[in-house]
Amino acid sequence: MTADSHDCEPGPDDGESADDDGVGGILRGDGGQVGTPFDTTADVRETRWDRYGRAIDGYIRMPLTIMRQDWRSIVGLSIVAVYLLMGTVLTWTVEPTRTGDGPQFVQPFETWEYPLGTNEMGQDLFAQTVHSTGPVLTMMASGALFTVVMGTFFGLVAGYKGGEVDTVLSSITDVFINIPGLPLVIVLSVLFEPTHPISVGILLAVAAWAGLARAIRSQVLAIRDESFVEAARMMDVPTPELLIKEILPHLMPYIMVNLVNAARTIIFSAVALYYLGVLPFADANWGVMLNQAYHAGAIYRPDATHWLVVPMVAIAGISIGLLLIAQSLDRVFNPRVRARHADTGDAEDGDGTEPGSTEMMKQV
Amino acid sequence: MTMTTTDLTDRSEDVIMEVSNARVSFGMERGRARVLNDVSMDVRRGEILGVMGESGSGKSMFADALLDAVVDPGVLQGELTYYPGDGEPIDLLSLSEEERRRYRWEDVAMVFQGAMSSFNPVRKIRTHFVDTLNAHDYDVDRGLERAKDLLGDLYLDADRVLDSYPHELSGGMKQRILIALSLVLDPEMLVMDEPTAALDLLMQRSIIALIEEIQSKHDLTIVFITHDIPLVAGLADRLAVLYAFEFIELGPADDVLAEPAHPYTRALLRTTPNLETPLEEMRPIEGSSPDPVNIPSGCSYHPRCPMADDQCREVDPEPYRVDDDHIAHCHHWDEAIEEESPVAVGGDDRTPTRAYVGPDGEDAEDPLVSLDDVEVHFEQKSGGLLSRAEPETVAAVDGVDIDIHENDTVVLVGESGCGKTTLGKVAVGAQRPTGGSVSYRGQDVWDAKDMLGGVSIPFEEIRRALQIIHQDPGSSLNSHRRVRAILETPLRRWFPELDGNDRIQRILGMLEYVGISPPEDYIERYPHQLSGGEKQRITLIRSMLMDPELILADEAVSALDVSLRVEMMDLMIELQEQFDTSFLFISHNLSNARYLAEKTGGRIAVMYLGEIVEIGTVDRIINDPQHPYTQALKWATPDLDPDDEIETADSPIRTIDIPDPSNPPSGCRYHTRCAKAREVCRVETPELIEADEGPGHQRAACFRAYDDHAYWNSEPIVEGPSEE
Ligand code: SF4
Ligand code: SF4
Repeated sequence: MTADSHDCEPGPDDGESADDDGVGGILRGDGGQVGTPFDTTADVRETRWDRYGRAIDGYIRMPLTIMRQDWRSIVGLSIVAVYLLMGTVLTWTVEPTRTGDGPQFVQPFETWEYPLGTNEMGQDLFAQTVHSTGPVLTMMASGALFTVVMGTFFGLVAGYKGGEVDTVLSSITDVFINIPGLPLVIVLSVLFEPTHPISVGILLAVAAWAGLARAIRSQVLAIRDESFVEAARMMDVPTPELLIKEILPHLMPYIMVNLVNAARTIIFSAVALYYLGVLPFADANWGVMLNQAYHAGAIYRPDATHWLVVPMVAIAGISIGLLLIAQSLDRVFNPRVRARHADTGDAEDGDGTEPGSTEMMKQV
Repeated sequence: MTMTTTDLTDRSEDVIMEVSNARVSFGMERGRARVLNDVSMDVRRGEILGVMGESGSGKSMFADALLDAVVDPGVLQGELTYYPGDGEPIDLLSLSEEERRRYRWEDVAMVFQGAMSSFNPVRKIRTHFVDTLNAHDYDVDRGLERAKDLLGDLYLDADRVLDSYPHELSGGMKQRILIALSLVLDPEMLVMDEPTAALDLLMQRSIIALIEEIQSKHDLTIVFITHDIPLVAGLADRLAVLYAFEFIELGPADDVLAEPAHPYTRALLRTTPNLETPLEEMRPIEGSSPDPVNIPSGCSYHPRCPMADDQCREVDPEPYRVDDDHIAHCHHWDEAIEEESPVAVGGDDRTPTRAYVGPDGEDAEDPLVSLDDVEVHFEQKSGGLLSRAEPETVAAVDGVDIDIHENDTVVLVGESGCGKTTLGKVAVGAQRPTGGSVSYRGQDVWDAKDMLGGVSIPFEEIRRALQIIHQDPGSSLNSHRRVRAILETPLRRWFPELDGNDRIQRILGMLEYVGISPPEDYIERYPHQLSGGEKQRITLIRSMLMDPELILADEAVSALDVSLRVEMMDLMIELQEQFDTSFLFISHNLSNARYLAEKTGGRIAVMYLGEIVEIGTVDRIINDPQHPYTQALKWATPDLDPDDEIETADSPIRTIDIPDPSNPPSGCRYHTRCAKAREVCRVETPELIEADEGPGHQRAACFRAYDDHAYWNSEPIVEGPSEE
């Protein structure tokens, strides 16, 4: 039968071999059993390592290869890596600082003992910044994940399921959209007085996910009617798998950008609320530092300016790092870019059939 | 080679447009793409020049070049000279911005496909005309008078149309308005790029007939660009064939069709499904069109040409003169032309079609899928928030019975909006009918889904057995998943005993089987790296991997290039025979329907406004249609015969536009368009009955199939071929 098929279908072979000579040598991976193509099975059993290998390739190696080629992601990743180091390694090596550790208002870069100077209470600002990093990162991550997980779940399910499920989920979403965010957060923080970074993060995100849910829902509505979704339904693919494998990838760039932006929003609102003194604080963090500096009148005292500047730089730095990553992530999820980095190296001859070239010109 | 094209053609002709060595190129990552490769052509005053080419042959570029409308990053070079009837010749490439703007509508106008997007949705049609007239400083009142004349000529109710918004008009109307709009400034030449591609058969044919009338009335020169050869066969005076961004043959339409001298033209004609050519003579063209970056040296057709020799591979063929006016770019045209003509011109010597080999109609063993009085009604919300109007119901499918047996093939044919896709989806359980029942081997599909009554076949199995191939290969594959992931999905779901290596091995085998090779390379590709034909094969494999009993193929070939259609249809037929699958095809094209049904010995069902109006074996439906609507479809199916003149006068339909499906006509739904309608057709509804002539498998829903019926004594409905 295989020979038969060759007689009928020599077309593409010929066409292809014209422009990519010499690809056609190897035909069967491990020469599995040949019957009809319908009951072909492989001779070699798949090992666990085969599976892991494929997963690593798709989820880790490929994104990294793509990101490596974009300066934005290199810079962004480096910045975030520095913060991660601060939050982990440096936290163990740098001693926490206490009131009266040093003299008042040492200026930054004066001595190696206090590289970023000290504040009114003689605390080492460098140590304080370093020890704030861990809690701040935890808070950002928890808040951003909460936003994205809730938003994606509500949007995805409401948009795909439609009908009553949609009505219920959308009503909940609308309630959260219409509650004024900041007052709600203030009320809740007064009520619960959260101090743990994770609970602070979630509290700050409590109203943020609804907007994302609504945006995702409308995107899902458009994708739901595409033929490939119907085809998956016709194959009886279970709904969770369908949502995750068929629909979610189309939303990933959008979700990732939102993830990163949500993280930035969390840090900004946290700082604002600490600064206003709405959130209770036990340990120092960048927002608390700003608050203390302000109350010590740092704005009017030239010798205390660094007290304000140090936490501000810390906040701006992580925010810029995240922004750069968000911009470059778009490429990671773009199949056209991914294809070019496939390990099989088929991209070049693949381009020959790429619709882009002629189709683009045809649309005129 | 190029200067000679002009030299070879007769200088005495009155030329309106002279193109020499036109070349369009643009830079791409992979190199410079030449999407028009030193093309020369004289367009003669008053002729209809048909330009045919597959997609990616540079035909749209040629149209743009004629208007100097090539967009960035394309660069147009060469010489294009326009000779107005009076006045100085115009050199297109040295026009100023303002001159070019005037030239573009007042001298040469363009009608392109996709009329839908060329109107501003919030402005009335009248505004579009007025704006155009104003922009070119024409007298608006006189212009509108002319517009009304033109619209009238195109069988449109001018006053009504001018006061409508674009969304209130059908696609066919918009396309005709676009033609009127392009003619309102009285240009001398009209360039039409696939003007009917998005339209239905009957509308296409009617518009082609109108174009012919308009051309003689307004002394136009028309360049008609299309991929559909039969469409221009009867229309064009001369035909030019584009391949790989060059003209490869040019000559009087009759000669090119009857005695094509270039092997590509011959192959193209052979691969075009139509109603006449015997199936044994149809064959696909092997290989695919070249990439604009990498055009083969010598004759660009040599990789696919069966006659290619060393000379062809090295020397780019000059235009050879076949006849006075007929040239071909082929070294061996004289040998090519010796072969038998691919088109039976005016002949009636078609071989008898294969007899119907499927199961015999109703009384055969249990049908695989059986539809009983199926209805699908959609509710259409009308008006805004405050409107109290009842939602309108549109009966997409209305009372259809049809049985599909094992190894059966049924082709649903009809115009868009006739409910064929909805019916198809009901048949494979993708859509729940609002009335009637669908059963799979005797088990009601939706009862099984809802677990009602005693379920003899679980819904899961029904789901597996009924599969679908979508129309648009672009959207039926998830653009974010590789071929491997796409094809693994059905295997994972239905064959959990296979591990990853088994799955890959099976996918590789299937890819190879359908002629995608090397499969190892393709399995890692994303859909955007596949051509249209390859995508369609992947969807075919995907549904085949489910091991289905019935596949719905919704216009599965209409998105493909002409030269690939026969190949794809052959593949589906082969797979059907191999794996004992039944097929339900949907097609708007009678030629494709005939090809599929005749090769598989299946049936054709003709749908009109949600009802099946005629069903039967190919032989009966194509050769002896009983229902006037089927007859009209047959009339509208162009064939390759250049002598086949199209006249609106002998059109078998009274109006070109389909009635509003939300408010279908009373009685026989076809009576508003039927040329044979009589008064009784307005009130009584004909049943689908056994047609009286001939044996067996043909049933039609028309009173004319009854021997004695009030119809025969009723008064004819007389209205001339009229407006809407
Ligand atoms: S020149 Fe040669 S390769 Fe080209 S079409 Fe003619 S015979 Fe074929
Ligand atoms: S029943 Fe009357 S209107 Fe309907 S198709 Fe037959 S002749 Fe025409």
